[in-house]
This record gives sequence, structure tokens and C-alpha cells, in this order.
Amino acid sequence: MKNKAVEFKNFYYAYNGDELALKNINFGIREGSFTVLLGPSGAGKTTLCKAMAGIIPYYYGGRYAGSVEVLGEDTKGRRVSDIAMKLGLMLEDYESQLVSLTAGEEVSFSLLNHGFPPEEVAERTRKALEDVGLPGRENYQMDELSGGQRQRLLLASVLAVRPRVIVLDEPVSAMDPEGAVSLYKLLYKLYQKYGMTVVVVEHNLDFVLPYITDMIVLQDGQIKAAGCFEEAAEKAYADRELRHLLPALWQVRLELEQREGIRLGSWRNIGEAISELKEKFGRVGL
Amino acid sequence: MIETKEVNFAYRRGEPVINDIDCRIEDGEFIALLGHNGSGKTTLSRLFMALMHPRSGAVYLDGEDIAKKEPADLADRIGYVFQNPDLQILADTVWDEVAYGPRNKKLPAEQVSAQVEEALAATGLTDFAEVYPRTLSFGQKRRLGVAAALALKPRILILDEITNGQDSLEKEQMMNYLRAINEKRGITVILITHDMNIARLYARRVLVLHNGSLVFDDVPEELFNGIKDLGEWGLEQPTMAALSRAFGLYALTVGDFCSQLVLKAGEQQ
Amino acid sequence: MRVTAFTQLITVLAVTALVFILPVQLVSFVLVVELVLLLYIRHDRMTMAAIGALAVFTGMMILLQLLFRSPLETALAGGLRMLVMTMAFLCLLAATKIQDIAQALVERFRLPCEYAFMLTTALRFVPDFLADSAVTLDAQSCRGYSNRGNVFKRMYSYLVVIKPLVMRAVAKSDTLALSMELKGFGANTYKNMKKQELGTGDYLMLTIVFLLSTYKFWVKYI
Repeated sequence: MKNKAVEFKNFYYAYNGDELALKNINFGIREGSFTVLLGPSGAGKTTLCKAMAGIIPYYYGGRYAGSVEVLGEDTKGRRVSDIAMKLGLMLEDYESQLVSLTAGEEVSFSLLNHGFPPEEVAERTRKALEDVGLPGRENYQMDELSGGQRQRLLLASVLAVRPRVIVLDEPVSAMDPEGAVSLYKLLYKLYQKYGMTVVVVEHNLDFVLPYITDMIVLQDGQIKAAGCFEEAAEKAYADRELRHLLPALWQVRLELEQREGIRLGSWRNIGEAISELKEKFGRVGL
Repeated sequence: MIETKEVNFAYRRGEPVINDIDCRIEDGEFIALLGHNGSGKTTLSRLFMALMHPRSGAVYLDGEDIAKKEPADLADRIGYVFQNPDLQILADTVWDEVAYGPRNKKLPAEQVSAQVEEALAATGLTDFAEVYPRTLSFGQKRRLGVAAALALKPRILILDEITNGQDSLEKEQMMNYLRAINEKRGITVILITHDMNIARLYARRVLVLHNGSLVFDDVPEELFNGIKDLGEWGLEQPTMAALSRAFGLYALTVGDFCSQLVLKAGEQQ
Repeated sequence: MRVTAFTQLITVLAVTALVFILPVQLVSFVLVVELVLLLYIRHDRMTMAAIGALAVFTGMMILLQLLFRSPLETALAGGLRMLVMTMAFLCLLAATKIQDIAQALVERFRLPCEYAFMLTTALRFVPDFLADSAVTLDAQSCRGYSNRGNVFKRMYSYLVVIKPLVMRAVAKSDTLALSMELKGFGANTYKNMKKQELGTGDYLMLTIVFLLSTYKFWVKYI
């Protein structure tokens, strides 16, 4: 039994003067997993991410019950920035999260706040920028960086404190497909390199299909499925409203399995799908 | 009808962004304008709306050169919907937001309200008329943007990345409204997008820009099922198109594909 | 020889006072020094534009004074003094990172860190704000808003871009505040930065500033 990176126990939450946004949340995220958080708009995905980082309830107030543990420690009563040392959070709208005038200052900001000695700050900043593919850009001004570069800069600033878990809320929603693919490639590389736990909210699963190990499906503030990707996908497919959120490839896979009563492989890319389908359905079209 | 004749454009001190584009968009078309980042697709659409003017060549709207026009002059003929709805919302109710355009044009009150009602109905926002716009969901705000443009009764609608950042259900909803607007009202729809799947499912004609030049102008079937490698233009083949192509099928949806595949496999046995 | 942000700040503050103490000849000499310094540090388009704008502004000041019937000499001297003052700030901005200025303000002048942070963040968001306002203006013009007409009409209609921009800024500031929370912004932020130790250059510069500031006093004895 592996340790849990994040664990929710009987968690309920409502924003001030509002109905319950999260209901009876019980699940754990496996340490070392690449977990995707899936659900229709307004299901509470962002709220769940904020709860992992301790922003909820600390920052927003509101009513809550139950507990959230990050790497075995309850987030209750702990400072948001201390939790951030273990669990880094990247919110949507990356532009507004960059607070400094130059790339180097941005990355060293939280390190300085946590009292790292200046030499280590410089070293970690250099390393973090290198990791996200912006080596030596310490003195670049914000407006000298493209949108995609700014986002990677934000990633570097989250990585610089070396959290063991990193949570990303719709990191590519404002990017073109090319940029999205390359950001996820980078994320996966870092995930492997540092053995981190990655949790990501994404509504286009095509981008992350090759990397997903686990999936959590959220609907109307409740957990519909949580666990390994294959099982969670099957559960989501059974629901008409959630089905369309799955990657197109997996919709084909699960549809064919259901119609034909066969078992197909756990496809991670289109090549795998084509070769298995050719095998199963004869040499159609050739 | 929009027509461009040898249109060129470059920013100050910059490489040319648009090279000698000749194209003609007829009334009632449903067009997807595709291209990788920096291909010039947004620039071209801005030239249509007189948000920018060509370096050389000319853009004609219904046969009239728009070189001397500004966007406000064209607003009742072309509606242009921007990507970020938050940057244009200025009123306190959905109704007033949509009425902003017609009021700008100093239309009489009855006409304003008739046009607003019609625009709200076309985008499914009638029930939200009295709502504070900023409390709408992201998808609804996007539709509000469309309604605001429609309220001026344009005959052409240009939409910049209108489905970006939405889940597939919201995308489908938005696209169905646009399809109805196109089919029932005969409004020309020009969709600037990098969502290949949207282009494939909804457009009836596809224009592809690559490094500022028009490299493809035909029906979507030809683009996605043809022999051309889309990667060369920096475009991604959508999953369903790639799957279909591998099996010599042309299926739009998952259901279509599965049925066609099973059927074809049965025939061949 | 490097001079820290602290010394630069002191110097700039001193210059603003000095222009009223020193005789006009010396003030013009300071101006020449400033110009050389500025062009030595940076000579890009932005700097040139700033110098140009300052020159025009100074010219207008002089004309204004003449209109109010000040003697030519006074008007010229007034313009010169103002030019020297603003040019000093220009030099400061060109020579030093805002971050260093903010740090010096917190470290040496005991400015609360929140204010220092506001200074840097406000500057950080200026380009974004300009980009947003361009989009908003375009979006409104596509809905029939036109800025043709007389100045007052244009000013009035410009209000249409203000509201979306303010709302956008509010939304941004919420995310920004969260981000600062996550990154642990607080009193430590500036304390933990590498200290700006004063070096030979600083002492030399401070001595010159001191000597010039006491010019009135010792000039009598020479």
C-alpha cells in the first residue's frame, strides 16, 4: 500500500452564503501518480484544488467539515505558504500570478519568503529556470517572454521550493494545441525526473492520455469515480453526461467493447488503437 | 460578401504577416479559418473588420472598399466576437449589455428591444435577461458576446477562438447555436479556431493559412481525409479523423465510427 | 564601480534639493553630467523618447512662465531646474532595477513592505493593462462605439473601456492575492534578500553629495 499524497476524509465545503460546493468527498491521491481531475464545468474542480492547497477554507472562509491531509498532515491550522512547500498549486490565469518584474525575481520570490540563504536562492532559481527550458533568463523582463514562456516561468516558481506534489488547474486553457502538448511533455519529464505526484485539471484529455495513471471524476460537487485510470474511465463512460469528457480514443474503445462484447487494450496513443483495431476487425479498408 | 484582392499586411518594422491573399466569402457560408499560431489567421480576420488596414491590396465588403472605414461603420454588417468575454462586458444586466450596440447606433427604442430579444433568443439567453453578466458561467459569457454582436443584425459573424477553454458539452452547445444562426438566418459564420475537430464537424468550407499565405481552400472532407499531411502546416489531425482515415472511413462522431467499422468488417468476412 | 540603490536614492533626493541651492552654472553642469550618465547607461529608443518628452515639457513650462510675465532669465532658470530634477529620476530608473529601489526603501527608509511591493507590482501590470485596454477598445468599436467627434465627446465615450478594465483588474488582483499567499509574501520578503552593502563607490558618492549640499556653507570660507 503506497502512501497518499493528498487525502480527503468526509470533506464538505460551502462558500459563504452559498450551497454546498463539495459534498462527502472521500478519496486519496496515490503518491507518485499522474492524476487527472475530470468533470463538467461547475462541478467543483477548482474548489477541490484550492482545498488541497489549504486556501479553502483558510482564505475564503465559508462552512466546512471533514479533513484534508497533504502527505499525511492535516492542512487545518497551517499557513497556506507552508503547505505550498509540499504541495505547489498553479491556478488558472497564469498571467495574474506572476508578481515580479523579472524572471529571476519571480522564481526567487517564494524562496526568499521562506528564508533560504541568498546563495541557495540563486542556485535553485538557476536550476528551476533550466528545468522549464528557460535557462539563463533570470534578467528577462515579463514583457520579453511569450505567453507560453510566462506560464513555464510560473511553473518554475512553483517548482523552485521543490514540492513533492504539484497541482495544476487547467494549465493550458488559454494555449493553442501545440503549446498545450509541449507543456504537458515538459510536465511529464519533470514528473519522471523528480518522482513527483502530479494532479491536473484538464478538460481535453487527449493532451494527457499518454501520461495518466489515475483519474478522479467529479460531478455536482461529488466524487463519481476515483482510482486507476482504466476503472475510472469505465465508470465515467457509463454516465451519459460524463462520457463525452473522455478522450475520443477511449470513447471508441469503450463503445466497441460494449457493442461487441470484446476486450481491448489500454490505448495511450492512436498508433496502438489502429494496430489493435486492424487486428480485431480484419484488414478493413485495405 | 467579403472579398480580398492581393492583400498584404506587415506590422511596423516587422516581417510580412499576410502575403497576397485573394479570397471570396459568399453570403450564408460557414467557414473555419485555420492555421498554427502566428499563421496570420487572426490578422486576416481583423482586416475584414477594418480593425487594421492592409499595407497593399484591398478588402471589399459587398463590393465596397473598406480602406476608409473604421469598425464602428461596419458593426451593423459584420459582428466580431473577441476571445475574452470579460474584457468587453460593461453593463449591469445581460439585456443592457446586448442593447449597447443598437443604442450606439441610435436606433429607436422599440427597434432596440426587438433586436435585443431576437439576439437573446438566438443564443438561448432569454431567461438570463435580468442577470448580472459577471455571474454567468464562462460558456454563457461567450454566448453573451455572440448575442451582443448579433443585436446589431449583422449578416456576417466573425468569431475568434470562441470554444477555447470550454469542455466538449459547452463547445457542442455553442456550436449548435451558431449552426442554427447560420442555417435559419442565413448569417455567414467565420470561425477562427485551432480546434480541428470543430472545423471538421461544423464548417462547410475550410481556409488554411500558413506563414501568411492561403494554402488551402476547400471542404473539410478534403482537408481531413485527403492525402495532405496537416503537420506540414502546423496543424493537428483530430483523433476521429486520423482513426477514420486509417480505416478508409469518413466518420464524424465516435458512434458513426464504431458503426461503420463493425459494418465494414462484417461485409468483408 | 557600482553604487547601491540606497546611495542613488539619496543622490536623487539631494539633487532635487540642490537645484534650488546651487548657482545656475553648477546646475547646468549637473544637467550635462546627468545626460552623459543617462546615455552611458542606456541609449535605446525609450530613453531617447523620454528625454525628448522631458525637453518638450520643459519648453512648455518656460513658455508658461513667460506668459505670466516672469523675466526671461527666471523662466529659463526655472525650466532648467525642473529638467535637472526630473532627469535625475530618469537616471535612477535607468540605472537601477525597481526591485532594488524597493528593497532600499524597505531596508534603509523603513517603508512598509506592502507599499514597496505595490510599487513593483503596479509596474509589472502596466503592460498587461495596456494590452487589455487595446482589446477592450477594439471590442467596443466592433459594437458601434466610435471615438470620432470633439474632445469632450471622445473623453466621455472613453469611459466605456474603463469599466471592463476595472472589473478585469479586480479579478486579477484576487488571483494575485492568492498567489502572494501561496508564495508566502510577508515581512520576510525584503529582509531575506541579499543585503545591499555600501562600498567605496557609495561612500565617494555620498561624500560628493554632502559637499555639494553644504556648498552654501563652505563657499564662504574659500
